[in-house]
Amino acid sequence: MTKKKTSAPKKQSRPSSHHHTHGQGHCVDLLRQLSAYIDDELPSDICREIRRHLGACPNCEVFIASLQHTVTLCRHRPAPQLTSAERVSMRRAILDVANAR
Amino acid sequence: MQEPDEFDKLYRDHVDLIYRYAHRLCGETESAKDLVQETFLNAYRGLKDFRGEAKVSTWLYTIASRACMRMRRKRKGQPEHELSLDEFVPTSEGEFHLQIPMDGLSPEEALQNKELRQALDQAIDKLPQKYRMALVLRDMEGLSAKEVGTIMGVNERAVKSRLHRARLFVRRELSARGITHHDDHKSGDVRS
Repeated sequence: MTKKKTSAPKKQSRPSSHHHTHGQGHCVDLLRQLSAYIDDELPSDICREIRRHLGACPNCEVFIASLQHTVTLCRHRPAPQLTSAERVSMRRAILDVANAR
Repeated sequence: MQEPDEFDKLYRDHVDLIYRYAHRLCGETESAKDLVQETFLNAYRGLKDFRGEAKVSTWLYTIASRACMRMRRKRKGQPEHELSLDEFVPTSEGEFHLQIPMDGLSPEEALQNKELRQALDQAIDKLPQKYRMALVLRDMEGLSAKEVGTIMGVNERAVKSRLHRARLFVRRELSARGITHHDDHKSGDVRS
């Protein structure tokens, strides 16, 4: 999937292979802030800290990408539309009930 | 009784918007139509008192949201559970990824996969109501957190908290589904 429509700041390149166990305090702290990060609502110093963590923690990097994809899918999910006949019949039904009471 | 022209304009200008919202909340056509009718019936009765402090669309979203909560309560009659952040911490390697075919596809192309659409819809439908409403209004209808707060009667902080949990819930549901790579994005059928 292309990433151009997601709004999270760019990540730093990963510095080195770094063994990291997901579930540690840092990762859980990050989990709490991921939506604010994706929505670009965090102060720049916290964003920098998150990018630094993502560069060192492959699991968190994969996790945030999967959350971004989820949000992107929600934003682009098309919804069905009413037909002209349905609009007309629903309007008639509403007015019938409104005027009957 | 309202001036027919006033109601007709309200209905004509907003019925598609409210139907789209209703369908996303209810997840199926008949309930969505019932919700639209209930919304516009209430709007018809309240139109004379509407003073324009909020946008008309915000007013209608609010009416629809309240009507939806009433309709759900009648049908289900049970309290909804809270989502805790702790339940979304992955515990195994496989839970980090979305195992769905998206590589190299735009979101629109990815969503032409019927299995993916169904998985996404089912995940959203499984959300407890207040979380689904936050997700639908913010991520699908594209409203601001402030507008969503006005509609749901909560502050922005609560909206963001609900939205975050809703996103994590949907992500986890999608992650748990292994979706095969169908080629139906070539068919162009994205309606169902």
